[in-house]
Amino acid sequence: MTDQLNVNMSNEDIKKKSTKKRSQYLEVWRRLKQNKSAMVGLLIIIILILSAILAPFIAPYGIDDQDLLNTLQTPSKDHWMGTDNFGRDIFSRIVYGSIISLQVGFISVGIAMIVGGSLGAIAGYYGGKLDNLIMRMMDILLAIPSILLAISIVAALGHGLKNVMIAVGISSIPSYARIVRASVLTLKDQEFVEAARAVGTNNTRIILKHIIPNSMAPIIVQATLGVAGAILSAAGLSFIGLGIQLPTPEWGAMLSSGRQFIRDYPHMTAFPGLAIMITIFGLNLLGDGLRDALDPRLKN
Amino acid sequence: MKKKKIAVLLSFILILALFATGCGNNQSAPEGDSGPGTPTDKKDVLIVGQGADAVSLDPHATNDQPSSRISKQIYETLVTQNEEMELQPALAESWEPIDDLTFEFKLKQGVKFHNGEPFTSKDVKFTLLRGLDSPHIGHIVGSIDPNSIEIIDDYTIRISTKDPFAPLLAHLAHTATAILNEKAVTEFGDDYGQHPVGTGPYKFDSWVNGDRVELVRFDDYHGKAPAIGKVIFRNIPENTNRTIELETGGIDIAYEIPPTDVSRVESNPDLVLQRNMNLSTTYLGFNCNKEHFKDVRVRQAINYAVNMEAIVKSVYKGVGAPSKGPLGPNVWASNQNLTPYEFNVEKAKKLMAEAGYADGFKTNIWTNDNQQRMDIAEIVQNQLKAINIDAEVKVVEWGAFLDGTTAGEHDIFILGWVTVTGDPDYGLYPLFHSSQHGAGGNRSFYVNEKVDALLDQGRTSVDPAVREKAYIEVQQIIKDEAPWVFTWSGEDLAGVRSNVKGFKQHPAGHHKVYTVYFE
Repeated sequence: MTDQLNVNMSNEDIKKKSTKKRSQYLEVWRRLKQNKSAMVGLLIIIILILSAILAPFIAPYGIDDQDLLNTLQTPSKDHWMGTDNFGRDIFSRIVYGSIISLQVGFISVGIAMIVGGSLGAIAGYYGGKLDNLIMRMMDILLAIPSILLAISIVAALGHGLKNVMIAVGISSIPSYARIVRASVLTLKDQEFVEAARAVGTNNTRIILKHIIPNSMAPIIVQATLGVAGAILSAAGLSFIGLGIQLPTPEWGAMLSSGRQFIRDYPHMTAFPGLAIMITIFGLNLLGDGLRDALDPRLKN
Repeated sequence: MKKKKIAVLLSFILILALFATGCGNNQSAPEGDSGPGTPTDKKDVLIVGQGADAVSLDPHATNDQPSSRISKQIYETLVTQNEEMELQPALAESWEPIDDLTFEFKLKQGVKFHNGEPFTSKDVKFTLLRGLDSPHIGHIVGSIDPNSIEIIDDYTIRISTKDPFAPLLAHLAHTATAILNEKAVTEFGDDYGQHPVGTGPYKFDSWVNGDRVELVRFDDYHGKAPAIGKVIFRNIPENTNRTIELETGGIDIAYEIPPTDVSRVESNPDLVLQRNMNLSTTYLGFNCNKEHFKDVRVRQAINYAVNMEAIVKSVYKGVGAPSKGPLGPNVWASNQNLTPYEFNVEKAKKLMAEAGYADGFKTNIWTNDNQQRMDIAEIVQNQLKAINIDAEVKVVEWGAFLDGTTAGEHDIFILGWVTVTGDPDYGLYPLFHSSQHGAGGNRSFYVNEKVDALLDQGRTSVDPAVREKAYIEVQQIIKDEAPWVFTWSGEDLAGVRSNVKGFKQHPAGHHKVYTVYFE
């Protein structure tokens, strides 16, 4: 009897919880939908993701289909964005470049979020000397401008897409550590955490199941904006020749190689530049919209 | 919010900055720069823009073009080569061979260094002995026997080589053998490179590191005094900026006009484009120490698989010419009659199969961040796919590039060489003799006894006919054995404002500016 009652109760509990959870996300989505600029941002990101997934079907040419007889063509019916100095189709390269940019953006933010988030959570939850140690290390990282840090890491590890992602990831660890630590600090003394502690839940479980989910809002916002920053940093690294290897169609590298032709063939720089700009713009609009939608103080 | 704004702003700035690269810093228009419209008789400053800053103005501390272009105005050599590469007297009035090993030089009297010291044979001895200790110019003065430099009197000196060395006089015309003053060198010690003292028409005035070197007229110069009182060498690394500076009158002469700007400069009525084939050659070399490239068939296969003529046309856009051999066409005894490898992928595939690499292999192509060389690397990488070679392009910073290729870390590499003396010994011995592996210049680690023997013969023989025969044969062997894919024979492009007269490019790259005057 008692057993059955218990089961019933917990079942109901779960049901309630899940409906509440769903409604919470629905609520965020509802508020996000109202924000027109955020929807524009979302649309841009969706287009970007689709073009990355469908690149082989969208792009009319390959990434390294050189044609030395058709170099530096201005935009035309055959080449929508013209060709570069090796006669490669710029539109195709930009489409393929979206794969690189998304990879760099999401993976490096993933690295930063996992490492920075864990460090921040540990520091915030345990406090004391450990907190001091971790956060002072983060301060040291913060003291170095992130692009400079990324440059030194790439210089040490060598060129290549993988190393660019690691470098950009590492250089943005401190910001995640700080955000997570701050929200952990506010959460750890709340009743539901005390309750969890009272029933004997261990620390790892408390952090993973109770604290992290409740501090997701600022992390999501930071991550969305972080992807934009990461794409920009990677493009910057490639622009100064420290990023990916030739002939990878990275947007920053394409900008850089178009630089020598900028006075006669501005399309070589304009299109990759626009691609970077629109992507960053979209991510920032979305990030900003998410921030508003996730902020309980702005509930209407 | 702030973050977002910054990010948006940054992305805009990035784009804008790229469009605005042309508008380089022009706020530092120096005094005397008249610009269009002002009377030219006031103009007494010549501004020259080049693509890199000098490394050092101590001729023994470096052997790079940007430095020697400035050193050329400050220092003088014993003999010199004019723009036609003919030997002319400079600090030495006359010279005569004493025997197979020795030359006697009569020095010019009444010559003063910029610090007021008189020039004598002691300075010559001091300079040559100091140069012999320098790792940078070993290949230029290395043949001189340090124990044999004999001062006869203040204005007579004898210089001997260890073995007969035919191109000695041409080597003594190299800017690296410019005569220094012992007192000045000792006085400044390690800082001498920033305080050069020579006997040339211009003396050193100031150096803003990374930006400019300023020289002023030396009033006690022993030769014809230069017409212009002050010369400024500006470092403008971005090609586009250099052209724009020339167009807007920010500089009077721009060295190394990029191929993409040729028509722009040519069609501008205010500018004159000077084009001269120079003594440089650019090549794609194989590291013959590496497993794949030990096999001559692989090297030949790549020669067949790469359409170098089309690449050169596409990259250099009609500047210079596709190379026909290891030496440029202006070098004496250059063999321009070698039958080139045709572009033939089938033949290349066959050779690869014979060598056991029908399925190809992975390799790398090293280049420094020279735009044209990077472009060549990218096209070669693409064309090598046809014979299943998967090449990775490695763009390596110049210092690291030289270190890495000296140590033989590379597989394939792209590099240039300037045969400064115009003599085939300088253009072949360091690059192909087996004693010169690595730092000496032979970065393809090529070994061939016959080539070694012929190069030795060309170096030690004094009979020009014998030398010529040896060099012609060496070039044939090198073409057949294919340690290189011959790439590009260089051309110097200087953009000159039309009021600048008396400027003539030197095939070795270090152009005189002390003959220049304004009109």
